[in-house]
Amino acid sequence: MNETLLKAPSAQPRTAPATPPGGALTRQRRRTLLLCAGFAVALVLLTGLALSTGQVEMPLMDALRALVGLGDAGDVLVVQEFRAPRVLSALIAGAGLAVSGSLLQRLFRNPLASPDVIGVTGGASFGAVAMLAAGASQLLIPLAALGGGILAAALLGAFAWRSRMAVTRLVLVGLAVQSGLAAAVNLMIVRFPAELADSALQWTTGSLYGRTWTEVRFGGAAIALAVAAAFLAHRRLSVLDLGDDSAGGLGLDPDRARLGLLLLAIVLASLSAGLSGPVAFVALAVPHLVRLLAGPPTPGTLALTALAGAVLLLGADHIVLHLLPVQGLPVGAATATLGAPWLLFLMIRQGRLPQRSES
Amino acid sequence: MTTTTAVSTSAANQLAARGLDLRYGDRTVVSSLDLDLPGGAVTAIVGPNACGKSTLLRGLVRLLAPSAGTVTLDGSDIHRMSARTLAKRMGLLPQQPVTPEAITVESLVRLGRYPHQRMLSPWSAADQTAVEDALARTGTAELRDQPVDRLSGGQRQRAWIALALAQDTELLLLDEPTTFLDLRHQLEVLDLVADLHAEAGRTVVMVLHDLGQAARYADHLVVLKDGRPAATGAPADILTAELVEEVFQVPCQVIPDPETGTPLVIPRARKRI
Repeated sequence: MNETLLKAPSAQPRTAPATPPGGALTRQRRRTLLLCAGFAVALVLLTGLALSTGQVEMPLMDALRALVGLGDAGDVLVVQEFRAPRVLSALIAGAGLAVSGSLLQRLFRNPLASPDVIGVTGGASFGAVAMLAAGASQLLIPLAALGGGILAAALLGAFAWRSRMAVTRLVLVGLAVQSGLAAAVNLMIVRFPAELADSALQWTTGSLYGRTWTEVRFGGAAIALAVAAAFLAHRRLSVLDLGDDSAGGLGLDPDRARLGLLLLAIVLASLSAGLSGPVAFVALAVPHLVRLLAGPPTPGTLALTALAGAVLLLGADHIVLHLLPVQGLPVGAATATLGAPWLLFLMIRQGRLPQRSES
Repeated sequence: MTTTTAVSTSAANQLAARGLDLRYGDRTVVSSLDLDLPGGAVTAIVGPNACGKSTLLRGLVRLLAPSAGTVTLDGSDIHRMSARTLAKRMGLLPQQPVTPEAITVESLVRLGRYPHQRMLSPWSAADQTAVEDALARTGTAELRDQPVDRLSGGQRQRAWIALALAQDTELLLLDEPTTFLDLRHQLEVLDLVADLHAEAGRTVVMVLHDLGQAARYADHLVVLKDGRPAATGAPADILTAELVEEVFQVPCQVIPDPETGTPLVIPRARKRI
């Protein structure tokens, strides 16, 4: 038998440079950790800022004392009842939307997939407004938002399923669902002006105005659970990335796994939109930002996604509250203003990159 | 490997199909197929295009549910095993795996440990050992930090085989592992498979295109025609000119491979008019 044929491949010369074992993984881990730390610091600073600034200005220490119920009674009221729920809503909804977007982009292998593009946040708004119009209690808002989000997803599935979720069809149908539901929201707001005038901004563009503990507690707990579930599901996501055949070979039923993760993403986005309204671009833009900063997805980058989403929404809320000459602008307007140029930048950048090689 | 006359097959890792029907939608690709694949051997499934060889492989690893009949592994129905149990016993290299963007070789190979991990279990020493072993055996250890989508076709295929190895299964099923590779890399992949069989004792089942390579590298050959086995057995016993002409509709002569003595198919020259 020919000797050369029996030679193990390892005996052949390598062109690749030798690197220490686990070098790239360790490097990425370190980088992700640093970025997480950076965003965590930003989060703490922004939270301090948000708690201490406003019509009633107070030193940071007083704001923190007021948060735990100490100090001037007026301060305590402002911080505990008005600022803290708003800050928490921003953090939780921002993290929820960003994680949801990241899940959807991986599941669809489509950088344009996000809960606002496929209509889920619009559906959540619709559900919430319908519930308000029916005069139900605030407690039911998260549930109604969830129902609306699932309704939107079901509509999307019904129209786009037969094309095996082809990218263009998905995006087009999603936009149609989103616009249709947005129109329905507007219609309801016009029909029931007395009850809904105050929340109109929240349910049409996304706003954090007037969040109360009732909403934060329920929505927040549910979103926290869903984010935790996303972390637990990360291995399944990575295996799904290998394609259905490989996933099957590794013992994962791809259709079942995908459905479960899709539901998780929808639940996350709907509950988040139940808190903040259909805030644009957070879910779409944050996963791209994280990918750019930290590289391919790992559980660490998922944590980074959650942190970055929280920072972005809290930061945007700070901008609309305190840094603009106009008052009462909804946070969704700020994220859309920030997000549109970011999306353009990404598209231009994508266009310049060489085409991905075939698997 | 090919010079041995008697194939040392073992009683374990025997895949068998009984009355197997496989279909896509209402198109039946494989019907009432009975097949026994020897454990401890290298089996090659060959046949003309659209004869159902990839479909059969998909049926054998449960990627495709049979519309009738059973597939058993050492006597147990694979459709009654849990997905995880089956994934611990057989690994698969699909024909067109999807390489996630920018994933490094090591990250890819680590995913082979999926069936061995529990939801909250951390990465264990056993996991790392299996990954290191898979990288070493496939000669991809030096490439571990390279993004898979930047590797050459041959290197990429070895990285994917490493993933299946890290899965640490006794059976390895490969669907046309040499497609899209040039000759040198085809042989490199087949030699690697032969080594995995000889050194690591894996039972291998692979779909191949090239009859000469199948005869050279397989202990057991399954020649499929229209979803039915036209012949099964040791390549030297079954690969005749009549069989090739019947199955592939190619007039040919079969001569001993000058390197290995295994059958080599030489198509007859077309008469010029």
